[in-house]
Amino acid sequence: MKKRSNDWIVGAVIIATMIGIVASTMYLQQSDIGKKRTGVTARFRDVGNMQVGNAVVIRGVRAGRVQQISLAPRGWVEAKFDMDEGITLPVDPVVLIQASTLFGEWQAMITPRSAAPPIRDVLDQLADSTDAPERSLPGAVLPDIAQLTTVAGGIAGNVASVAERVRTAFSDSAALELRASIRNFSVLSSDLARAVRVQSRNLDSIAVGVRAGISDLADASSTLRRTISRVDTATSDGQVRDIVAETRRATANMAEASERLNTLTRSLETSEADLRGAIGKADSLLGKVNRGEGSLGMLFNDKSLYRNSDSLMIDLRSLLADFRRDPKRYISLKVF
Amino acid sequence: MIELVGRVARETLESFGEAGKLTAEAVRSTRDVKTWWPNLSLQARKLGVDSLPIGILIALFTGVVLALLASYSFTGAVPRYLVGTLVQKTVMMELAPVLTGLALAGRVGANIAAELGTMRVTEQVDALETLAYDPIAYLVVPRIMSGIVMFPVVVGVAMFVGLAAGWAASLLLLDLSSIEFLKGARLFFDGFDVRYGLVKSASFGFAVTVLGCTNGLKARGGAQGVGASATSAVVQSAVMILVLDAFWAMVWLLGRAK
Repeated sequence: MKKRSNDWIVGAVIIATMIGIVASTMYLQQSDIGKKRTGVTARFRDVGNMQVGNAVVIRGVRAGRVQQISLAPRGWVEAKFDMDEGITLPVDPVVLIQASTLFGEWQAMITPRSAAPPIRDVLDQLADSTDAPERSLPGAVLPDIAQLTTVAGGIAGNVASVAERVRTAFSDSAALELRASIRNFSVLSSDLARAVRVQSRNLDSIAVGVRAGISDLADASSTLRRTISRVDTATSDGQVRDIVAETRRATANMAEASERLNTLTRSLETSEADLRGAIGKADSLLGKVNRGEGSLGMLFNDKSLYRNSDSLMIDLRSLLADFRRDPKRYISLKVF
Repeated sequence: MIELVGRVARETLESFGEAGKLTAEAVRSTRDVKTWWPNLSLQARKLGVDSLPIGILIALFTGVVLALLASYSFTGAVPRYLVGTLVQKTVMMELAPVLTGLALAGRVGANIAAELGTMRVTEQVDALETLAYDPIAYLVVPRIMSGIVMFPVVVGVAMFVGLAAGWAASLLLLDLSSIEFLKGARLFFDGFDVRYGLVKSASFGFAVTVLGCTNGLKARGGAQGVGASATSAVVQSAVMILVLDAFWAMVWLLGRAK
């Protein structure tokens, strides 16, 4: 009886402990035995620190958990998610893996593609996994705090390097040069101030001129406004229509006159051509005359003829004088 | 001085050698099922079931103290739900197995060493041999079997109680909600945590019972020798628990960390 009692107690304790351990483990792992679940598969190039059992969230609400992560052909990593019953995926869904806390907890977030963060690397990953031939959700891994820290560390290193260079550059000699430069700069500043004062005075005079010009422009504007007002008035009285009609008539007359002028011009052109021909011929003739060619040329170019003619004129002038003095000598008038 | 060091080293190696020899004999004697099987439940009750109160008591206070310690340590930017994480990880992987193992090393190891030592000095063991009983199969195998089976049971209960105590302390003393505590407890929970603690406690049970049996069976010289063997069993068991704790951490945790 005692032995049987021992057996019963020991067996009961062992069974109760096993049940308690299994139940506690399932409770902490949030296992759902008998719950209907939907499987979703996603493809990634890299899954970061995501592990089996991590949460799958939609719009920040836990909707399942990571069931399996495995390497797939052609460099893919395939992750299978157990989605809770009744969960509806968003339109054009993509899976983003990200750190959910600063303490190493990761999660898979199912979100519409349009809601993916506009990070080039992430978009490239999504586009890459979208092109995968098998049917699965495209996925990408967002940079975690460690990567950001690494980048920040690099930046800090660069800043430290720059600071070191600055420290090296600002040696004693560099400080002296800098002091001299500052002194020169002071002189330069005073010169510049002086120049600015002079230019300021010039600008004042220019401003006066500009002001006068603006005043003139204002007057002109006022005149133009009055003119426009008159034009408006004229337009309203119908005078412009008369002016336009008269202008049209004048234009017609001018066109007619222009046509006549064209005709006259053409005649003039013809006359000019004739004149140019006559002048050419005359020029040719005069050239020949000048060169002493032909009878007229010989006549014009023969000096003896000129002298003979001159003496002839003298003789004729003396003859005429003589005739005036004594006409009877030359004229004998007899009547009967 | 040099002689003392040499004697201590020799006795230590002798103890390990005797323990190894006893283990080998126990493995051989497991074939004599008819001899050890009737005593198994009795030893399981004495070593395991009767040790539950001390295991529960230790886990109870450990869970409460851990929750308070975590709350005290986590200040500033550290979220308070990590109290649950610390309690879960620490209780399941370390404190429940090690503290319970140390407590059982005192209770079970001393009990086995004193019982077997008394039987040895009163020549009851010799009487068993005279009656053609295998003393290893009759006395050692059921104790080792019980230790291997019941230590994880006690530690499993201690895990559960420690976690519950930490949870209750977080609710009652730290103004932490159940949702926060469970979020932290679930955050990094892995089934491995439970397996690691239970396997480790099974190894503790094996070491405590083997060392208790070894020291008990080599007891000489009456009550004083029995007391010395009991003391030696407790000390060696405690040291072996810590050594095994480090061993499992290096073998199992280091591999997973990589």
